[in-house]
Amino acid sequence: MSERIFGVFLLLLSAGGIFIGWDLKAPISYEPVGPRAFPLLVFTLLGICSLGLVLSKRPATTWAPSPVLLRVGGMFVAVLAYALLFDKLGFVISTALMSIPLSRYFGGTWKQSLLAGAGLGVILFLLFDKLLDVALPIGFWLKPLLG
Amino acid sequence: MEIISHLVDGFAVAGSPTNLMICLIGAFLGTIIGMLPGLGPINGVAILLPIAYAMKLPPESALILLAAVYSGCEFGGRISAILINVPGDAGAVMTTLDGYPMAKNGLAGPALSISAVASFTGAIVATLGIVAFAPILANWALAFGPAEYFALMVLALSCLGGLVGDSLLKAMVGVLIGLMLACVGIDSNSGVYRYTFDLLHLSDGIPFIVVVIGLFAVSELMLMLQAHHGDVQPVEVTGRTMFNAKEFMLARWTILRSSVVGFFVGVLPGAGASIASAMTYSMERRMAGKDHCFGEGDVRGVAAPEAANNASAYGSLIPMLTLGVPGSGTTAVMIGALTLYNITPGPTLFQDQPVIVWGLIASLAICSVMLVLMNIPLVKLFVKFLQIPNWVLVPGVAAVSMVGVYAVHGTTFDLIVGTLLGGFGYLLRVMNFPMAPFILGFVLGDMMEQNLRRALSISNGELEILFASPISIGLWLAAIAMLIGPRLAKAIDARRNPAPAA
Repeated sequence: MSERIFGVFLLLLSAGGIFIGWDLKAPISYEPVGPRAFPLLVFTLLGICSLGLVLSKRPATTWAPSPVLLRVGGMFVAVLAYALLFDKLGFVISTALMSIPLSRYFGGTWKQSLLAGAGLGVILFLLFDKLLDVALPIGFWLKPLLG
Repeated sequence: MEIISHLVDGFAVAGSPTNLMICLIGAFLGTIIGMLPGLGPINGVAILLPIAYAMKLPPESALILLAAVYSGCEFGGRISAILINVPGDAGAVMTTLDGYPMAKNGLAGPALSISAVASFTGAIVATLGIVAFAPILANWALAFGPAEYFALMVLALSCLGGLVGDSLLKAMVGVLIGLMLACVGIDSNSGVYRYTFDLLHLSDGIPFIVVVIGLFAVSELMLMLQAHHGDVQPVEVTGRTMFNAKEFMLARWTILRSSVVGFFVGVLPGAGASIASAMTYSMERRMAGKDHCFGEGDVRGVAAPEAANNASAYGSLIPMLTLGVPGSGTTAVMIGALTLYNITPGPTLFQDQPVIVWGLIASLAICSVMLVLMNIPLVKLFVKFLQIPNWVLVPGVAAVSMVGVYAVHGTTFDLIVGTLLGGFGYLLRVMNFPMAPFILGFVLGDMMEQNLRRALSISNGELEILFASPISIGLWLAAIAMLIGPRLAKAIDARRNPAPAA
């Protein structure tokens, strides 16, 4: 069932892709094949394949039990929040905030998780920003303090 | 003779103090990444690529780092296979069959050392193979025009479709999603914005690193959480660490045979380390006749897959270096690394960038020596890394991956896209869609389109040019055979020998 639903999603996606792609025309053309041919080919083939997913008999997908799925979803949200706050809170704080729930999910106690969060935030910042010269965001809250 | 002078130059590049250091670090990190269950060569290369780029390493050093990590992973995978019965990477699945029983019998040390020697032999045989065959293939490929290239890429993609995963349909969907994502961004020929939705960040297309980190870091961690059952304790390494003469004599031909077979399997696009190790394991088992204890701790059962998976890992570099068409997920990521540096891989690479190619080949040899020297005496140190608890490892990997993505453009937009793709990748993987076709489609998308358009520009729009030369006809036929062949063989096999009722 999951694969069929996914097939429907892809079918809609390819329809949208063809719809948008139809208008992709170069103002002045120097070559016989313009910018829209390849995307249209890809989306058409994707449409055919996803029709195959919808119509053929698909094996059932085994999803993890719902408490596990909930945890996986929670982890995804934590990482997404990390991505959103990465430069706003700065590397150290955002990494610590992301690490604590992930640590908890992987069996760390509260104490271990706090330790992992603080440790990773500080150590990785020193490693990358200071030692390896990969610039990382400090965050808006520290900038005024540092002048 | 020309090859020897090239090799000398290559060793001069790979032997510079910086590159030796990079090689050592890469080999060490690679072993650890390969050893950790869940993280394999493709994740290791994916996570380290952006960091190498952000550190502004020159292209040959970056490639040496990635190659060192790649071969380190193939060495590391066996440690967890032998000690905790969980393969560290896909190539080490077969190693668990005899490695873990050996460890249980108190022979962990010999199992680890013989597999290290087997890995080393595989790596050296394959390096020699690259030196012998790659320049010839590159020379031959110089005759390829855009039409031949297009057909070649179709062949590479259909090899994956034929060999990877259980379902052709799923592999095709994977390829097409990859190609679809590759269409996003400004069209370099006409300047038309395609599927950018007026987002400035999308005008250069979705960065390669973002896709790779999403698919192979974020979604991997989600899968690790799904499979998480608490930490496993490895079998302790006690007794002798070296194999004895008897064990070596028993395994020596196995090692050589498996290395050669593994190399040639690796050269074929689509067939990677896991196929090579499975093939040689069953080959050796059959050849052993009655006199064996395969499955209960036979040294040959450890030696064969390890020799084969290292040899095939190196062998898979051949299509990448000579044709510019990757045959596996990991080499696809390495192609992406080259394109980050504006180097177009392909047959001209041997002429235009000898420093990179021969430096890479020489560093493969140096790396293998380092790895075997590191792996036998330091195995107890590596086992310590196996005890890093997941509660610090996983957030660490997540943070390091994000650092890599952020370092390339310095925008959080990339991080968000990467995370969303990671979630999408997780759903795909739970539904058993293979990831290698996806990433290969994404890497090849632009090259395919460019070659197709160039070919049709030459012929003024006539499609016949795609099937005009004998080479391209051969490639198209091979592509069809790869798509249909394995399934036809399976169907015939099933008809002849109806499966015994379980």
